[in-house]
Amino acid sequence: MGLFQKLAFFLGIRRKEVNVLVIGLNNSGKSTIINHFKDEEEKVAEIVPTVGFNVEKFQNQNLSFTAFDMSGHGRYRDLWEHYYKDCHGIIFVIDSSDRLRLVVVKDELDLLLQHPDICNRKIPILFFGNKMDCKDALSSVKIAAGLGLDKIMDKPWHISASNALTGDGLQEGVEWLTQQIRETIVTRN
Amino acid sequence: MVVGVACGSDLLIYKNNKPFYKFSVPSLPILALEQDAWQKLSEPDTDSSKIIENLKNTPFGLLSPRSQTLVNLPQEDIKEFIEKYSSIHLTKSSPITCMTSLKRNSEDPLAISCPVLATEQGQVYVLDPQSFTILHEAHISNAKATPSIIRASGILDIEFRIIVACREMFITLLRRGWLEGKIIIQTVLPIVDMILMPGDNFICAATTDKMLHCYTKRGNKLWSVKMNQPITCLCLIPLKHLSIALVAVGMQGGAIHLYHSRHSVDFITAPDTPSAIVFGQLGQEEHVMVIITTSGTMNFKILKRTADFNLNRDNSISPAAQSKPLPLPKRSKLFLEQSMRERQHAVDMHQSFQQDLVRLRLIAARTVVQVNSNQAAAGNEKEQLKLSAQVLGLGPMFTLILTLENMNSDKALIELSAVFHCKPSIYKLSSYISAIPLIPPGLAYKIETKVKECLNSENSTEEGAAISTTQIIRVFIVRLGQVQPVLAATINMPPTDPLAYTV
Repeated sequence: MGLFQKLAFFLGIRRKEVNVLVIGLNNSGKSTIINHFKDEEEKVAEIVPTVGFNVEKFQNQNLSFTAFDMSGHGRYRDLWEHYYKDCHGIIFVIDSSDRLRLVVVKDELDLLLQHPDICNRKIPILFFGNKMDCKDALSSVKIAAGLGLDKIMDKPWHISASNALTGDGLQEGVEWLTQQIRETIVTRN
Repeated sequence: MVVGVACGSDLLIYKNNKPFYKFSVPSLPILALEQDAWQKLSEPDTDSSKIIENLKNTPFGLLSPRSQTLVNLPQEDIKEFIEKYSSIHLTKSSPITCMTSLKRNSEDPLAISCPVLATEQGQVYVLDPQSFTILHEAHISNAKATPSIIRASGILDIEFRIIVACREMFITLLRRGWLEGKIIIQTVLPIVDMILMPGDNFICAATTDKMLHCYTKRGNKLWSVKMNQPITCLCLIPLKHLSIALVAVGMQGGAIHLYHSRHSVDFITAPDTPSAIVFGQLGQEEHVMVIITTSGTMNFKILKRTADFNLNRDNSISPAAQSKPLPLPKRSKLFLEQSMRERQHAVDMHQSFQQDLVRLRLIAARTVVQVNSNQAAAGNEKEQLKLSAQVLGLGPMFTLILTLENMNSDKALIELSAVFHCKPSIYKLSSYISAIPLIPPGLAYKIETKVKECLNSENSTEEGAAISTTQIIRVFIVRLGQVQPVLAATINMPPTDPLAYTV
């Protein structure tokens, strides 16, 4: 890669805005994770259950993220699929302390992977095993095994245990996502 | 949220998983005789055996549990028992057999609801959830009734319905202000479980004969479905997002079928026979079914968000069939007049119809008798052979034609012959015996015989009176080597007209 190209690449990224979809069951901590990435003055003290969805913007490594923070409530999950088409990455948040609903998570993940807007695209998926501080939380390895993530061959995926209240593990995950999105944009260019 | 646990005749209330309150069902009136007996027993130096004998003579069911124990105690324990309990106040309470909850003043799922208890004696109590006083008390039925399942709907302060299934195989209804329930449904077999459908208040009840019945709120039966296995429990599955309510039917062996109205829409299996099923919110998940099996396992099933139970498919079929109008003819004036007449003269029409029907039956019976007594065609059922005779001519020469018909569809008639029998002084026949060839199935054979009447001028006058009895020819159809004739018939010969005959 020549110097000129490299420069153009960075300039291109500077102007680039990417859309990420934040999905996961209700009470898994999606809004809390997004809240953590926001600027200090925009942060909300108390997170309430999202109705419908919220659009939030934040920056990471010169990449401007527009996050669609979807509601995870059962009756709003139908909305998710309408945003699959225009997103560059997916953040899938899992409550690692909710063992009972892991089957529901698997069901929703399978629906996501089988969706026509997703199944043929090489879209990066970032999993957050949230609430890792809970004492009966499942490890990220166990969640990956429980959801059968090893069967996802055609998409880059990454799972990281996180704690959205303190911010542990969030930065690591988003850096991976930024890297992946940047790569896909480079290949497309 | 509080949890109520019925234990004997007490209702134990737990708040935040800690004991909070104990409500005891009020004592029933105690027999004066029993009260008296215990009064005497508490006094020192009384003859307890005589009093116990007295208690034994009263109906066992009317005694309090304490006296029931006393009359069954062995002799050596009686003294100790009396000493222990005679000073305590005598009570007779009835165990709680079933309970439910009833919303107090709002339909909201999180609104205050009142506990509703039913006791073995058939009393129903509605309690105040804060002070635990009795708000409403009623008796289930005027007949003897032991409640086994109780369900409530509505709001206590406005209008409510309490439906109680009893062990005596009936379901009673209690409404606001009623002091006594009314029997609305009677079943043939014991009721296993019962649920109330939301909205239209239909009652779904399962009986021990594998049947699931649905009744309207007034107790009219709508439909019944037979299951493959005996039903053990029922559970209502209200699905607000699909605006339907399914019924989960737990059966022996572990199958749980989901019914939408009378149609089975899905089934799931439990590892063992389910003994209780509950559906509702568990933690964050809204649609969770908890199944407890008889072997003590607890299973959690979560409803898929995308499950639609194929209801759309069913819906798409039925309106299509309904939208096409049935090819009914237009209501003509004639039809309207006729229906008016039918309405006005219903009784007369029915009577005349019945009259005609009776007449028709009479005609039919007469015809049968006539056919049976008809000599022109005689038959043999066993051999399926039919014989008919025809006499031609005016006399004295006659031609007798016998038709033998083989009624059998697959067997030919063989080795038969016809024998004629007559008084030789009156008739002379061309042949008295004629062999019959093989008659194939379904075909007929005709035998022609010439008959000549011997008419003497002297004889005719002398035997005139006897003519009617002697002017017959008997025909026997016999089989070779068989003594009994296969068929016998008598042919009445017509008399020869003397005027037509001139010598």
